Amino acid sequence: MAPRVVVVSLASDFGCQVQLTNMEDDLLDVLGLMDLTYWQLASSGHMPDAYDVAIIEGAVTTTEHVELLKDVRSKAAAVVAIGTCAVTGGIPALANTAGLETRYATVYGGGVAVAPGRIAPAPIDSIIDVDYHVPGCPIDTAEFLRGLSRVLQGLSDHMPDQMMCASCKVSENACFLEVGTVCLGLVTRAGCKAKCPSLGRPCTGCRGIAPDANLASAREVFARYGCDPASLASSLLVYNTAAEVTA
Amino acid sequence: MFFRVIAKDRLPDLVRGLSTEFEVVGPVAKGEKFVLAPIEDPASLRLDYDTTVLPPKKWFFPPEETIMRFRVADNEVVDDEVYAPPRVLFGLHPCDVNSLLLMDNVFFGKYVDPYYRARRENTLIVGVSCTPSDTCFCNAWGTDETHWGFDIFLSDIGDSYFASIRSVKGAELVDRHVESRDITDEDTRLFQERTAAFKAAFSNDVDTSQLPLLLDAKFDSPIWEAFGEKCLACGACSMVCPTCYCFDVHDELEADQQHGRRVRTWDSCQFKEFAAVAHGQNFRDTRASRVKYRYYHKQWGYLSKFERVLCVGCGRCARACKANINPVRVVEALQTGVVD
Ligand code: SF4
Ligand code: SF4
Ligand code: SF4
Ligand code: SF4
Repeated sequence: MAPRVVVVSLASDFGCQVQLTNMEDDLLDVLGLMDLTYWQLASSGHMPDAYDVAIIEGAVTTTEHVELLKDVRSKAAAVVAIGTCAVTGGIPALANTAGLETRYATVYGGGVAVAPGRIAPAPIDSIIDVDYHVPGCPIDTAEFLRGLSRVLQGLSDHMPDQMMCASCKVSENACFLEVGTVCLGLVTRAGCKAKCPSLGRPCTGCRGIAPDANLASAREVFARYGCDPASLASSLLVYNTAAEVTA
Repeated sequence: MFFRVIAKDRLPDLVRGLSTEFEVVGPVAKGEKFVLAPIEDPASLRLDYDTTVLPPKKWFFPPEETIMRFRVADNEVVDDEVYAPPRVLFGLHPCDVNSLLLMDNVFFGKYVDPYYRARRENTLIVGVSCTPSDTCFCNAWGTDETHWGFDIFLSDIGDSYFASIRSVKGAELVDRHVESRDITDEDTRLFQERTAAFKAAFSNDVDTSQLPLLLDAKFDSPIWEAFGEKCLACGACSMVCPTCYCFDVHDELEADQQHGRRVRTWDSCQFKEFAAVAHGQNFRDTRASRVKYRYYHKQWGYLSKFERVLCVGCGRCARACKANINPVRVVEALQTGVVD
């Protein structure tokens, strides 16, 4: 029987789900492999009670999200986190940089009843066990397909642990640091083939800090190349607030 | 070997002529840097390049290569052809010509690598003389000269090239495609003069004497910890290195999960995952142990097997490494016992 799949979204801008619809070339093949029982973005159905695979986008920002995740975990055999919001807390987690309530008051004014049950934004795996991760803001469709293949074949999760610079060199890019431009590739998780540097833009770290990153040395590198060493931590905040950047 | 003289303004004839029989690949500008890319127009060939970001190995051992396609249902290989068009690498510096000879030792070992071999056998090499840049230190290993490993080697002697012709194929191609003449005593004198000027132009004068002995003596030196603290574990050094040959192999299924391909990609011993084995063990899980390993492999292990170090002094790693770790600095640290 084809696995029953649900696509669930928490706090995000739906960008990763839009990426799923963008993989036109492979969409029919992919849909042929599964019984897609619920996808809020693409249909008006309701979340079923039983399913095998839950693909989750977005950060956890409310107590309702927490309950939903626990429910999903109790039902799904495999939980897949897609996008940096889900994997590191991503951009939604920025709400917590100046204290959650202060931030809400600044944005919405005092006393307005927005986001009831709000909590400090967090990645999904701070609440439940996550079996597969596909980072990226937004996700890369080829990487999603590779991840999905691992889910369907029952293989283990496989996020690359190393940094971006090796793939950047493979693309024969000139290094941004050499011209004093802040690039986060040297501490950011590889796996996108250094897409931004190859398109002429520095890496903004959208895939999160790589577990093998050497942040202390990266600060010294910044200083040597004329980039403010403090900008390493501040630039990394954009996608890693919830991860505690100790650079 | 025999020698001809080719006037510089006739060189485009050779490139154009070769293009009728081969894909010609040579150094072209990419922004401020240079890369080895197919040459459509001889005018785009930049024989005045300093170095290329990636070395020539990418034309024999690509960064990512499908080594076979298979069908899932019956586990059958459906395609394992090696694509190896007739090609000329035009304009390799001596270090890079030497690097291919070092690669050959590995890929043409007891178990010949069919992918590398197919391309190597279908590729001619045209070398060109160079001017040392501030990161070059091929002089330290003697890889600033090359006596074999090329079909034609063009040494700049002013208005002409002093062409050393090593292979029958190279001779035929020069004959067929470009006007050339016999060498004179004056050409040989100019060649020697240029060679002397080249040797004198190196800014690096690192002393590599007794290096394997030094490495043996310094196995437990604190310098390795110091380099480990600096290293970003990014692997850029291995990617850009003309003599790093490590690779990883994995399978990938197509979206329909019915077909798949086996892929080989460049790997680096600087990645933590490199030495991870079953059961969660990793026998080189610190950056210090990995940097150290890189140098013991290149300057000791390979040497003990092939009587050459696995480095040609091209300086690419020195350019790529943001943490300022490179063979010259490592050798100096071995000598002084400190990493500055
Ligand atoms: S441009 Fe960025 S990703 Fe590329 S080598 Fe430099 S630091 Fe690394
Ligand atoms: S170790 Fe560095 S200098 Fe030596 S061959 Fe490799 S890239 Fe060139
Ligand atoms: S230095 Fe490392 S990556 Fe290079 S060939 Fe040796 S083991 Fe492989
Ligand atoms: S030695 Fe330099 S280039 Fe190599 S992995 Fe370490 S930081 Fe990266």
